[in-house]
Amino acid sequence: MPLPWYYFLAITAINVLMSWALYLPYRVAHLHFLTVANMAISGYLSGWLVQVVHVPFGPALLIGFLTGGLVGWLVSLFIADAPTFTVVIVGFTFIYITRTVIENTKAVGSTMGMFGLPLVASSPGAHRWTLLAILYAVVLVVGFLIHRFEHSRLGRAASAVFVDKDLATSFGVDIRQLGRLLQVFSSTVAGGCGVLYGFIYRSFHLDFFTFHLVGLFMTIIFVGGYATMWGTLVAAPVLYGLTLLFPPAVASWRIVIYAAILIAVLVFKPEGFITRRLAYTVERLLSSKRKI
Amino acid sequence: MNKKWFKLLAVLLVLAAFVFVGCQQAGTAKKVKVKVKEWEVPFLNCLTGPIASIGEFLQWGAERAAKEINEAGGISGIPVKVTGVDTALDPQKGVVEMGKIVQTALVALGPVPEPVIMAAAPIAVENEMMTMTATTSLEYAEKFFPWSISWFPKTEERLPPLVKAWAELNPDVKSVVQFVGNYGPWPGMVAAHKVGLESSGVKALNDVEVPQDAVTFGPLVVKALNQKPDGIIIACWPEKAAKLVQELKSRGWKDMKKVLLFSSADDAALYTTGGAALNGTIIYNFVNVDASNPRWDAFKVAYAADHNGMQPPSLSTNYYDAVYMIKAAMEATGVTGDPKKLKEERKKIAEYMANMKGFQGLLFNWDMSGGVPTNKPTYLFEIQDGRKSMVKEIRP
Repeated sequence: MPLPWYYFLAITAINVLMSWALYLPYRVAHLHFLTVANMAISGYLSGWLVQVVHVPFGPALLIGFLTGGLVGWLVSLFIADAPTFTVVIVGFTFIYITRTVIENTKAVGSTMGMFGLPLVASSPGAHRWTLLAILYAVVLVVGFLIHRFEHSRLGRAASAVFVDKDLATSFGVDIRQLGRLLQVFSSTVAGGCGVLYGFIYRSFHLDFFTFHLVGLFMTIIFVGGYATMWGTLVAAPVLYGLTLLFPPAVASWRIVIYAAILIAVLVFKPEGFITRRLAYTVERLLSSKRKI
Repeated sequence: MNKKWFKLLAVLLVLAAFVFVGCQQAGTAKKVKVKVKEWEVPFLNCLTGPIASIGEFLQWGAERAAKEINEAGGISGIPVKVTGVDTALDPQKGVVEMGKIVQTALVALGPVPEPVIMAAAPIAVENEMMTMTATTSLEYAEKFFPWSISWFPKTEERLPPLVKAWAELNPDVKSVVQFVGNYGPWPGMVAAHKVGLESSGVKALNDVEVPQDAVTFGPLVVKALNQKPDGIIIACWPEKAAKLVQELKSRGWKDMKKVLLFSSADDAALYTTGGAALNGTIIYNFVNVDASNPRWDAFKVAYAADHNGMQPPSLSTNYYDAVYMIKAAMEATGVTGDPKKLKEERKKIAEYMANMKGFQGLLFNWDMSGGVPTNKPTYLFEIQDGRKSMVKEIRP
C-alpha cells in the first residue's frame, strides 16, 4: 500500500475514534476534553512499557485502553453529572497537568519526546498492516457499540438529558450513572487511540497532544453532525483529506476555509450535514430493502 | 643544449602537474549523464500556522540558493527547484506529505519543527532517504542518522564556551538565574549553560520556569530577583523573552549586558516585542550579521529588500546552505536522478554529506564528521535598536 494512503487511512481512523470519544459524552451535553489528556497518558505509558520494559505491543495496547478507562472513571467520580462548562474546564486542566507531568518525567523523554518506538510486527510493511487492522477493528467494534447505544433505552435517555436534565431525571434517568458510563467509555477509547497514534508515528512528542486536536475533533463533530455517529464517519476523512488535496496556493487559506465551513454549517445547518432525521431515513430505507 | 631541453621539460612537467591538480580541485564534479530535466528538492516546511513567519524565511533562503545555483548553471548542468510542502506544523499532515516525498525524491529538506520531525523523519529513515533537518539540535537529528545530518555540534560542547565568554565579559557576575521554557531541547541547553557558568566560577541559582501559556511575567521576574542574581540567562520563546526583559527593566534591572538571551530567542518576535528595552542585552547565535563576504553581503541586501529592511534572522541561512550542500553532494557523487538507481544514489548523497570536508557555507567553511559539524564558530552579540553587533567570536 502506498505510504500516503496508509497514513491517510490510519490517521482517519484515529480521528473517527477520537471524534466519537468526544461525541458520545456530548450526547449528555458533556464536552469531555479529558480524552486528549487520556491519549497522552496512555500513549506515553504504553510507549514506555514497550520501549523500556519490553512489554509486547498487544498487552501494552490493552494497558493503554484500561488506563484510559481508569483515569476516566476516577475523574467521572467528580464530574459525571457536572454542568457542561465544568466538564470543559476539567478537561483543559487535565491537558495542562498531563503536559506538565510528562515534561518533567525523564523516563518518557520529558520535553524531548520518545523516539524510535519498535515495530509491532516483523517488518515495516507488516507493522502498517497490523496497525490498520487493529485500528479498523476498533472502529468497527466502537461503531457497533455506539450504534447499539443509540438504539437502546440508554440512548433515548441520553437524548432526554441533552434537552433537559431535570425532565430526564423526572423520567427516572440516573444522570450520574449515564454520564459516568459515557465518560469512562470515551476515555477508554481515547486511551487506546493514544497508544495507536504514537505507534503510527513511532514516536511521541508532547505537541502531538495539543489543543489543535480539540479543534479538529470539534470541527469534525459539528460539521459532520453532532446528533448521530454517522456525521463523524463522513466528516473525518473529508476534512482531513481536504487539507491534503489543497493546491499550495489554496493551502495557506486552509484555516479560513475550515472556519468558513464551520460558520456556514452552524448558521445554515446547525445539526451538521448528517442529521438524525437523515440517518433514520437512510436506516429505514436500508431495512425496508432488506425486507424486500 | 641538452641541459636547456631538460630544464624546459622539467618546467613543463611542473606546470602540467599544477594544471592537472588545479583542474581536479576546481572540477570535483563528475561528468555524468543526468536523467532528469530538473532536480526537484521538496522542502517539508511550515508555510502556514503558528510558525509561518519562520517557515517563510527558511523557504526564502532555500529558494535564493536554488536561484543562484540555476543562474550559475544548475547542479551538474541541470536546474534545481525547491518545492515548499506545507505541513502547517501538523504531524498528521507531515506524515502523509513525507509519504509522498519518499516515493521519488533523492533528498529532502526539513521537516520543520520538532513535532513534525518526530512524526515524519522516521518515514525518511525507513525509506533510506536523506532528510535535512537543519533547524533542530543534534539531540533530535542524531536519532535519524545516517539519513539526517545535524546542523549544530553537541549542545554540551558548543554552549559552555559561549556562556563562559559571556561571564568573562561580566567579571562581577557571581550568580545567575535562568528563565527556562520547557520545550524540546531547551532544558538540555539550560543544563549546558550551567556547565559554562560553573567553569567560570559563577553560581547557578534556581531556574525559573516560563510556562508556554504565560501572559504575565511580573511574578516570574519577582521569583528570579528574589534570589538576588547578578546575571540573567533567558532560554524561552522569543516574545516571552522580550517581555521578561521589559519586566526586568521595569523592576530596576540596569546593567543589560548581564542579561544573556539564547539562540532560539533570536527571532523577529523578540525585536518587535522587546523594542528599546533590549538595548545592551547580549545574545548568542551562529549567524554573524556583521561579517562580510560577497555572497553574504548580497544575501543581506536581498533579504532586507524582501523583508522591509530587516536583518536576516538566525536560521535564515540554514536552508540556503543546505541547498548548496545538496549541490556539492550530488555533483561529487555523480548522481544521475535515474529512478532505477534511486536507492543507491540516496545512499551516496547521505554518505557524502555525513563526512563532507571544507563545505563553503554562506558565512564560513566547515567540516562534517559522522553527520556532525566539527568546527562551526558561534558568536556573542550586543543588541542595540533592534540590530546586533558582534562582541566576540568563539571558535571550537
